[in-house]
Amino acid sequence: MSADIDTLSDFSSGNDGARRFARWLAGFALHGGSILAFAALLIFFSITAPFFFTLGNIGNVLGQSAILGVLAIGLTIVIIGGGANVVKGGIDLSLAANLGLSAAVYATLVSTGHGDGVAIAGALLTGGLIGLVNAIAIVIFGIVPLLATLAVMNVVAGLELVLTQNTVVSAASDFLSVLSNYGPFDIPVLAYVLIIFTIIAAGIVQYTPLGLRLYAVGAFPEAARAAGLPVKRIVASSYIASGLCGGLSGILSVSYLSGSTTGAGEMLLPVVVTALLSVVFSRRLVPTIGGTLLSTLLVGFLTNGFQLLNISSTLVSGIQGILILLVVAATSLQRGKGVA
Amino acid sequence: MSVFANPDRRLFTPQFIGQVLLRYAVIAALAGVFAFFSFATTTFLTSANLTSILVNNFTLLAIVAVAMTFAVSAGGIDLSVGTSVDFASFAFVSLVLAGYPVGLAILAALVSGALVGLFNALLISGVGITPFLATLGTLFIGRSSQQLLTNGGNPVYLPQTGISPLFLFIGHGHILGIPVPLIIVGLLIVITSIVLLRTRFGRAILAIGVQQSVARYSGLRVPGHIGLVYVISGFIAAIAGIILTSTVSVYIPNSGGAFMLNAIGATFIGTTLSREGRPNIPGTMLGVLLLSIVANGLLLTGLSFYWQQVGTGLLIFIVLAASFLNRRGRGD
Repeated sequence: MSADIDTLSDFSSGNDGARRFARWLAGFALHGGSILAFAALLIFFSITAPFFFTLGNIGNVLGQSAILGVLAIGLTIVIIGGGANVVKGGIDLSLAANLGLSAAVYATLVSTGHGDGVAIAGALLTGGLIGLVNAIAIVIFGIVPLLATLAVMNVVAGLELVLTQNTVVSAASDFLSVLSNYGPFDIPVLAYVLIIFTIIAAGIVQYTPLGLRLYAVGAFPEAARAAGLPVKRIVASSYIASGLCGGLSGILSVSYLSGSTTGAGEMLLPVVVTALLSVVFSRRLVPTIGGTLLSTLLVGFLTNGFQLLNISSTLVSGIQGILILLVVAATSLQRGKGVA
Repeated sequence: MSVFANPDRRLFTPQFIGQVLLRYAVIAALAGVFAFFSFATTTFLTSANLTSILVNNFTLLAIVAVAMTFAVSAGGIDLSVGTSVDFASFAFVSLVLAGYPVGLAILAALVSGALVGLFNALLISGVGITPFLATLGTLFIGRSSQQLLTNGGNPVYLPQTGISPLFLFIGHGHILGIPVPLIIVGLLIVITSIVLLRTRFGRAILAIGVQQSVARYSGLRVPGHIGLVYVISGFIAAIAGIILTSTVSVYIPNSGGAFMLNAIGATFIGTTLSREGRPNIPGTMLGVLLLSIVANGLLLTGLSFYWQQVGTGLLIFIVLAASFLNRRGRGD
C-alpha cells in the first residue's frame, strides 16, 4: 500500500545522478561487497592471527556459532513469514528467553534422573509451546508481534528464574557428552549439527512449496490471501517453527555449557542482528536461511578473530552495531527509500 | 455495536459490560490490580507506600516512557533511550566529580542525551535507516563505548561527602512537601502533552505517525520533524539519567537499558486507551502506573522475585490481548 506511493515518489524525485550513483554504489557494495568483505576479513585474520585459518579453529568457530545460528534461523523464518517491517512485521523477541527456559527444562530433567529422550522431548515441547503461545497471541488475539513476543519473553524469562532459582543447573548425560565432543576431522559435533540443521531448514524454506508460500505471505499478505493461501495458519506455523528452534538451541546450549545458563537474555540482540544481516547475503536483499548461516559465521569469525588478536571483547558489540548500521544504510540507499 | 442498537433497551447487558471492559482494559486492570493488592496485603494501601510507588517505581520509567511515546507517535521506536539515560548519567557524574558546578553538569547531561538522539536522527532522517535498526545500532555502539569509557564497565561512585547540596536536592529534595523528582515528572507530562496536542509541531508529528506518505504530500518536512523527535526523545531520557544519578550517587554503565522494554510496554499499553490505537501521553502514564503498582504490589505480597516477573509479564499479556481483541472486534 505504501510501497507504490514510495515508487511514485522515486519518479518524482528522480532529480539527480548523484542519488542514482549512490544507489548503484550501494547495490554493488551489497551484492559483491558483502562476500568480498567477508573474504577480506578472513584473509586479514589469517595473516594477522596465525591460528586463525586452521581446520581446528574454523571448526571451533562453527561449533561456537551453533546456538546463535539455530536461533537466528528461527528468527529468519519468522521475518520471512511476517515481512520486513520490524514494528508491524514478523519478529520474535522471546527467542533468547526461550533458549534459557528450554535449556533449564532439559538440564532439570536430566539432573533429576530422567533419560535423554524425555529431556529432549521436554525441551522441544517447551520451545514449541512458547511458539504456540506467540502464534495464538499474534494470529488469534491480533497483538502486534513486537509486543506479543515482548510480553511472552517476560513471562518465559520469569518461568526460567522460577525453575532454576537463578542458578546454573548442571547436567551430564551420554547424549550431552556426544554433542559436546569432537566428530570426524576433529571438528566439534555442534558444528555438524549447525550445518545439518541449516541444510534441512534451507531445504524446507528455500526449495518447497511451503517455503514459497511463507515468502508470499510475508511479502504481500493481502495478495497471498486473495490467492487462497491460509495466511493465518502459515504465520502461526512460522512462530511455532521459531519456538522449536529455541527448544533445539536450548539443548545445544546445555551440551555446550554442561548445564543451564542464567544469561540467556543477552543472546537476544545478537540473534536479531544476525537474522537481519542475512539479507545482505542474498541477491534480492531478502532474508534467506543460507544468508543467515553466513551472517552467523561472520559474527562468529569476527568475535573469534578479535579474541585471537587479543582485542578487547568490549569492542565486539560496538563493531556489531556499526556493522548493522553500514549494512542497513547500504540497503536503504540501494532501495532508494527515504525515511522509512 | 452501539448502545442504541441494543434490542433489549437494557443498558447493562453482559455484552455491553464486556465491551466497556475491553475498551478500557487498562483502567479496568488498574482498578482491579489496585483493589486486589489493597485486600491481599495490609501494607499496600498506606500513604507511605503509595508515595513510594510514585517516587521509586513511577518517576524514572515515566520519563523514559514519555521519550518513547514521542518516537512511537512519529511512527518509529527508540531502542536507545537507555543509552541516552546512561550517557547523561555518565556526563553528570564525571563533571560533578571533576568539581564543575551542578548546573553546568546538568546542562552537559542534557546535551549528551540529546547528542545520542541526534546520532539517531542523522541515521534515520539523513541516511534513511528504519528507526528500529538505527536505534538498535546506537544501542550496541553505546554499550561498547560505555565499557571503553569505564575500563570495562566499572561503576563511577561519587564520594559520600563534599557533594553540592543541589546535586542531592534533585533526587531527594522536597518542594512544599512534594518530592522534587515527582514535580519534574509532573511538569514534563504537562509540557509534553501540550507540545503533542496543542502545537503545530506536535500535530505534525502525530500526522506523520499516522500516515507518513500523506504527511509528505501535504507539504510537511517529514525528515526534519522525525529527526527532531529523536533528539527530543534523547533529551527527555537524559532527564531520567540525571534524576537516577542524583538519587543513587553512582553511575553504573549500561544500566539504563533496563527501562527500554518496560517503556515500550507502557507506551503500547497506553495506545489501547485511544480509540484509534494511537500513542498518547495520558495512556502511557496509565501504563507506567499499572507496571509500577504491579511491581510494588507483588513485592509486598512476599511472592518470590522470580514469580513477580512471571506475574508482570502475564498481566501485560492479558491487557494487550484484551485491547487488541477489542480493536479487532471494532473492525480496525
